[in-house]
Amino acid sequence: MRQTLFLLLVAGLGHSALAQTVSETNGKAVFDKWCAPCHGAVAPKNVMFGNGALAGTSALAVKYKGKLPAVLEQRTDLTSAQIKTVVRRGLYGMPITRKTEVSDAELEDVVAYLTRNRKK
Amino acid sequence: MVLPPNVSEADFSRALGEFRSAVGASWVFSSDEDVALYRDSYSIYWGEPEERVASAAVAPAKVEEVQQIVRVANRYGIPLYPISTGRNLTYGGSAPNMRGSVVVDLKRMNRILEVDEKRAFALVEPGVSYFDLYHYIQERNLKLMLDVPDPGWGSPMGNSLDHGAGYTLAAFRDHFSSHCGMEVVTPDGDVIRTGMGAVPNSDSWQDFHYGAGPNVDGLFAQSNFGIVTKMGFWLMPMPEAFLSGTVTAPRHRDLDALVQEVSYLEDLGLTGMPQYGSPIAQASFGPGAGAMASLMQNGWPSTEAVERFVTAQKLPAWSVQLYFYGPEETVRATWQATKRRFGKAIAGATFQDGEFLTLPIPREKEPTQSDKPRLGIPSLEVFNMVARNPQTADDPSDGHADLFVTIPRKASALWESSRILFEAHREAGMPARQNPFSTPFTYYSRCFWTGTTVPTWRDPAKNARSRALFQTVMDRCAEHGWVSYRTNPAFQDLLVSKYSFNNNSLLRFQEKLKDGIDPNGIIAPGRYGIWPAKMRKNRA
Repeated sequence: MRQTLFLLLVAGLGHSALAQTVSETNGKAVFDKWCAPCHGAVAPKNVMFGNGALAGTSALAVKYKGKLPAVLEQRTDLTSAQIKTVVRRGLYGMPITRKTEVSDAELEDVVAYLTRNRKK
Repeated sequence: MVLPPNVSEADFSRALGEFRSAVGASWVFSSDEDVALYRDSYSIYWGEPEERVASAAVAPAKVEEVQQIVRVANRYGIPLYPISTGRNLTYGGSAPNMRGSVVVDLKRMNRILEVDEKRAFALVEPGVSYFDLYHYIQERNLKLMLDVPDPGWGSPMGNSLDHGAGYTLAAFRDHFSSHCGMEVVTPDGDVIRTGMGAVPNSDSWQDFHYGAGPNVDGLFAQSNFGIVTKMGFWLMPMPEAFLSGTVTAPRHRDLDALVQEVSYLEDLGLTGMPQYGSPIAQASFGPGAGAMASLMQNGWPSTEAVERFVTAQKLPAWSVQLYFYGPEETVRATWQATKRRFGKAIAGATFQDGEFLTLPIPREKEPTQSDKPRLGIPSLEVFNMVARNPQTADDPSDGHADLFVTIPRKASALWESSRILFEAHREAGMPARQNPFSTPFTYYSRCFWTGTTVPTWRDPAKNARSRALFQTVMDRCAEHGWVSYRTNPAFQDLLVSKYSFNNNSLLRFQEKLKDGIDPNGIIAPGRYGIWPAKMRKNRA
């Protein structure tokens, strides 16, 4: 019984890991298009008003004061619910994103990408 | 659930069914959760009864589907509100102008139909963003430069239809003026093409914008006479080089002379959008903060006090950055001529060479390139202006609404309008950022815009204060004949009431057109104050 459970878990992990790879790749593409212009890591030195960072990254640096990475792609604590809530409801200056822009399937891919390093 | 006004739940349900037949069930959004995605993220009425929320949204993929949607709306008397990319933040975003409207979300109509490198034009659908068009041009190595607004995730079509503007030469940065030809679904479901597009087999739709007879294109901007489904734009041939330079003027009273010289360059088409600045104002964001606060503490200072302040600060009162596009020989020669003219007109003017670039910018250098929009590269970096920062760390706003008025290119108008803004902020108990060194925006080359961004919140009490500020500034500026060129839907009735020559004859004329073209009043009721006859009582 214990061995069967172990095999089921391994099989499940294997399937999950394979699917996640494709999803993460798609998620990175969606992230690069829709999120990176504000939440990316690279900015011009004299970016307007931004303390040297893009708007989203700059805002999170002010918010977290070094307790968490300001660059979303470096985070290891993000959850699916957090990401979906912020994307669909907006937060402060970040507006709502509609399904004609980022579909539910694409949002799942973004979740897969941003939670790929999540600490278990 | 919100219903369109004067439409029964049963009829609305039937209409939704017909919308689904037209575009497919997955492209009609009617659940509360989905409709909430069409709220204006920056609404100045967030959570209040006056918030302009949709009843549903429908997302067609082609013009024939738009026609079917319009016909269904006519059958049931359902108001439609078209959006292109829906990113017109501060001016309503993806929310309708009137509560209960069905949003026609054109984001799926995202084809770049043609880009002609030799004749320098593009023909696009509504859902194409500046990013999309930029990448299309870049991937094909076409020698064309876009003129992009800030931020760059909006659409060429939507931006131009709301009279948006960019940063390069005057011929391109007035985005409506640089369009050429459009296709429109009219309120009765017909399709028209303007200019040469009305000629079967014409191959000059994007070359000549007038065609013959009345030019009707202007009817479809900031209005509600149809749904635009295609639009052409003239593009700038990729210049060989870009050069910037900065001029400073020492005294506060030098502004008119500076403006005159800048306007000379502008009106000859020799510079991109001039960026006025003030080294003194810039210092007030850092070490000079105390001195500026002291200058303004007892209200707007006298001319003499301002000039004494300039002397004491030991900084130039004004600066202007200029941007030259063209072959290297001509941009360098224009900068030389600029130095000669400004040096003669303004005693003590100084000059600083800026960045020289050969174009296009190599792709690998783009992420770290500054001044992206001035180089035709779309960006969202402008959001830094409103993002949480050390000053707003504990209470960042949830958005903003732009409050800008059009004034002539004159120092006296700039100072008086800045004073109005300063005093209105103080009276409202809000931080007043204006001072005698406030500078104008020159998106449109023949006038100045002056104003500010007013914070919006998801807090009704704070929003009420922001709305009151709008009312005060718009009323006081209008006494001088200074009004906005564009505003949030919450203030469009107020704005058009200021265009009141001859008992509002302009608006009355527009209403006659509305009644004739859209008798059922289904397209964007209330947009820029134009209400259909049956709803004129709705006017704020």
